[in-house]
Amino acid sequence: MKALVIGNKTSHLVDGLGFIQALSSETGVSIEAYGLLYGGGAEETKGFTKIFSMPEASPEAVANTVSKLIEKMTLEMVIAPAEKNGTEILSRVASVYDMPMITEVSGISKAGENTYLERAIMGGRATALYRFKTPMAVTVPAKKFKASESGATPEFEELQVIDGVTKVVEVLPKEKGAVDLEAADVIVGVGRGFKAKDDLAMAFELAELLDGEVGCSRPVAADFKWLGEDRWIGISGKKIRGKLYIAVGISGAPQHIMAASDTKVIVAVNKDKNAPIFTFSDYGVVADLYQFLPVFIKKLKEKKGV
Amino acid sequence: MDIAVLVKASLDVNMIKADSEGRILLDSIPLAISEYDRNAVAEAVRIKGELGGRVVAFSVLTWGPADKRAKEIENVMREALALGADEAHVVVDDAILPSDVSVTAETLSNLIKKTGDFGLILAGEGSMDMMSAQLPVRIAYKLGYPVATFARKIDVINGAVKVTRDLEDVLQVVELPLPAVVSVTGEINQPRLPTLLQIRKSFAKPYKAYTISEIGMDTPEKLFPFDDIKLVTVSRKNMIIEGENLEEIAEKLIDKLIEEGVVRV
Repeated sequence: MKALVIGNKTSHLVDGLGFIQALSSETGVSIEAYGLLYGGGAEETKGFTKIFSMPEASPEAVANTVSKLIEKMTLEMVIAPAEKNGTEILSRVASVYDMPMITEVSGISKAGENTYLERAIMGGRATALYRFKTPMAVTVPAKKFKASESGATPEFEELQVIDGVTKVVEVLPKEKGAVDLEAADVIVGVGRGFKAKDDLAMAFELAELLDGEVGCSRPVAADFKWLGEDRWIGISGKKIRGKLYIAVGISGAPQHIMAASDTKVIVAVNKDKNAPIFTFSDYGVVADLYQFLPVFIKKLKEKKGV
Repeated sequence: MDIAVLVKASLDVNMIKADSEGRILLDSIPLAISEYDRNAVAEAVRIKGELGGRVVAFSVLTWGPADKRAKEIENVMREALALGADEAHVVVDDAILPSDVSVTAETLSNLIKKTGDFGLILAGEGSMDMMSAQLPVRIAYKLGYPVATFARKIDVINGAVKVTRDLEDVLQVVELPLPAVVSVTGEINQPRLPTLLQIRKSFAKPYKAYTISEIGMDTPEKLFPFDDIKLVTVSRKNMIIEGENLEEIAEKLIDKLIEEGVVRV
């Protein structure tokens, strides 16, 4: 079986390759991997038979180009990164061929003869299982499936863009600091429990002590605009997967909890003992953050000897 | 220009119910308007304010049983009407339940075609319950219209629509000819809660429910129904740290975090 992994970064190709390898080992079906990079150079990624490249283009033009390739090569699977452009491009390809599309696959499981693809639904409170069959389109989150980059060195081929009616008028930078929550090991999350922007200084001090970053719930970024959207933890914001998440003054909306669920250890500090966040935490402290944080910071400093 | 807006009666993810064996009781979870669809309605109403025309809300019941859910989807659509839509059309039919994305797209596109000509079709970026984020695109392809997703800004100008797409790292501005389908993010606007007067008025607005045969459809085959839905069992420790005073609690917490290997001192 042939599968195509698309993306605009080499890491997208590696993530897709990881999924292919995991699927192949679950099903016992050997899958030949092809890559397509739209925008960005075609770097050598071992494990692919061939890597196609095309210039940056609208999602429609990428989808047209991919659709043409599916027809030409009889591809049975198409895999894209589980991010916004990947989702649109793949939805288009799936629409053209009336293909099933499993958005953001979180796991692969087996029951009897069947292999199932799993994805989180209902704000992360449930998992839906879909029987794997081909043809199928799948979006894959970053770093979810580990790839072993071995095997033959791929060939390269440049593709012509097949334009559509969508015109890309301009690309604007997003207001962005130097924060990369998705790569942070430790994150201190701030929520509505904070009464004023200046009070966030406590969270920044704590994050600094732990070599971490400060993230936030939706109201802090979207409504109060105390912090930039690059710090917003949520399904539509950033998904975090570090070692430690300390949620301070955050009640725990489903979208927030889901986006933090891949964290190893979650700590919640909230004065409301019934806050949903406690159900999703390893350790909870029921206290007013204004009283607890200064003590916690002081004790941490003592332990660290700073 | 008339605007169609797609609204989902989503399972309320804050009201998930399960039995003692952890099986999710799908039929007992109440339906609620899907969060980002409220943004889509508000955006449609804003554009109507500039350009005139009607805002028509469409929905397909995707969770059964139909007889029990008929009133619930009506309530969801009354909310869309209270938010400013002028009329609402829905399909309620056991033959498609539970629906999958492909059948929902097929049914919605037939319902839209039957109801009128729309210059713009708006939807939320994804639904609260399933969040597969592919329905707007599937509908666009079924209707043969261009589509743009994840809009945080929409400008309609001279037969075209300029859409600012909110991507992870950049904002991408695209232009499409009308008619077009656009999905919106929660950041595009801040929908206000409807006033009591708006809620009361919503009951006077046209609301029509159809079966699939009434919109000229046979029972469609599902392309990829889910095979199972399982409750996620939270494997968190759920330990509340207690102590005589905050100092003691802080120390115990730090010790736990060192034990876990997530804090180094």
